[in-house]
Amino acid sequence: MAGIKDLGVGIGWRSEIDLTVERLPGVDFVEVVAENLHIGHLPESVTLLLERGVPVLPHAVSLSLGSADQVDLHRVEHLGAVAEAVGAPMVSDHVCFVRAGGLDSGHLMPVPRTKDALDVLVANVKLAQRNLPVPLALENVAALLEWPDGELSEGQFLAELVERTDCWLLVDVANLYANARNIGTDPERFLDEIPLERLAYVHVAGGEQHGDIYHDTHAHAVLPQVLEVLDELCSRVAPPGVLLERDDNYPSDTEIASELAAIRAVVDKHRG
Amino acid sequence: MAAPTAARGTRLPPEEIGYLVAGPGRAAETALARLLDAGLVRVSRDGLVSAVHETELGTLTAVETFILVHLRKAARFDAVVRNAAKSQEMRTLHQQLRARRLTREARPRLAVWWVFLAFGVLLGLLALLEPWTLFGAVAFLGVGFWTYGAKPLTRAGRAALKGVTASDRVLAVALEGFRGRIGNQSAGELFGLPQSVVKMLPRKRKKRTGNRGGAGAAGCGSGCGSSSCGTSSSCSSGGSSCGGGSSCGGGGGGGD
Ligand SMILES: [Fe+2]
Repeated sequence: MAGIKDLGVGIGWRSEIDLTVERLPGVDFVEVVAENLHIGHLPESVTLLLERGVPVLPHAVSLSLGSADQVDLHRVEHLGAVAEAVGAPMVSDHVCFVRAGGLDSGHLMPVPRTKDALDVLVANVKLAQRNLPVPLALENVAALLEWPDGELSEGQFLAELVERTDCWLLVDVANLYANARNIGTDPERFLDEIPLERLAYVHVAGGEQHGDIYHDTHAHAVLPQVLEVLDELCSRVAPPGVLLERDDNYPSDTEIASELAAIRAVVDKHRG
Repeated sequence: MAAPTAARGTRLPPEEIGYLVAGPGRAAETALARLLDAGLVRVSRDGLVSAVHETELGTLTAVETFILVHLRKAARFDAVVRNAAKSQEMRTLHQQLRARRLTREARPRLAVWWVFLAFGVLLGLLALLEPWTLFGAVAFLGVGFWTYGAKPLTRAGRAALKGVTASDRVLAVALEGFRGRIGNQSAGELFGLPQSVVKMLPRKRKKRTGNRGGAGAAGCGSGCGSSSCGTSSSCSSGGSSCGGGSSCGGGGGGGD
């Protein structure tokens, strides 16, 4: 694929806010959680958005590409089927593992940034890519702790992953902010190190500070600091798309619209 | 009789109008409509209602607060209306309307009311010959009057509804219910609700006679008594079931 086409500003489609997503002005594309969709029985709202020409991008949370176990091809197959059902130009998941030794953690756990872990990840990503009908983008996750003996920075790790698999990157600026707050990583260094020409699109989300820990809840307002990271990213590259993720405690349509407008303002500022 | 507040130019709140028009079910629909209008709740395509921000702020009435408090967990559209209609807050609203003499206890009309009346008249005529039958005449006429029934709306209640039109979408729900027609669409569609959600509520029922439907304001449940728009000037043009014929007076508030 030569490049990701301009997606614009979007929002994560969730059934609780389906009517809101349909009627909000300025929703250029949406993302659906692939595991929540059933082939042959797409939600009416998703069908309606597709009829309007709104791109729908499947986002997976369960491939567990960082697991030492081989990736579950049934899950890859489902993701691919969802992509075909909605005519998506790409799909995505995370650079993480959610299962280990047959146990499901229920969380997106960060992968140790070692050469060995990268080899495992690369093998899984390549296997997934071979079984997917569209390109795969991979997202950086928020981590509350770092694995010991890391050999690469997160940016270097993702750069090498892209180089070896030709995958795309889905950069979550809220996760970059969370990692900066919680484990002291540097978002600017991350942005310096990743191949920005392989940027598929960007995630923005809200969170909350609890004591010393910033929680990337997707259930609170987007902090200005997260938009500053987006601003930093946009100063380096025009992202093909930026998507607001909101998963709980949904605010009013007006508040969601103003969060989308704030995101668009940051993007447009750099487009001149 | 003192003129009701509405007659002096101050309109009743939509929730009270809804109650007077078609009882607690309609008042509950109206409260939900007001919350939707204010952006305090949202409805999804599968008919789940959820509170926006999970806060009670912004509610105007006890019934609205009841609804919002019980939406900490999303609930089905029809269940929200049904539960609000049965709530203590709704009973309190009913008591308040009665205390203000806008409604009264409704009595259903018995089919045999005219038999008592006829006997009463007959005995009355007989009293011209046999004066003692006058007592019987009075008794039968009394029973006849009682079994004729009474509508829940008082004259003050009817006056309060006079001139109320579906001038906004909350009032449209108060007068017609979410399923009622306003022009060529349902009142629910004014809120962007899909038909699948609106149809979760019971269908509007046509009343055969005015008085049978009189339970409306006095004690009908969710969504009942919805075909009463005799008081709404806007509904006769909207293709609703209430074009003004005799079937129209019967909801909670209609009638003469
Ligand atoms: Fe994300």
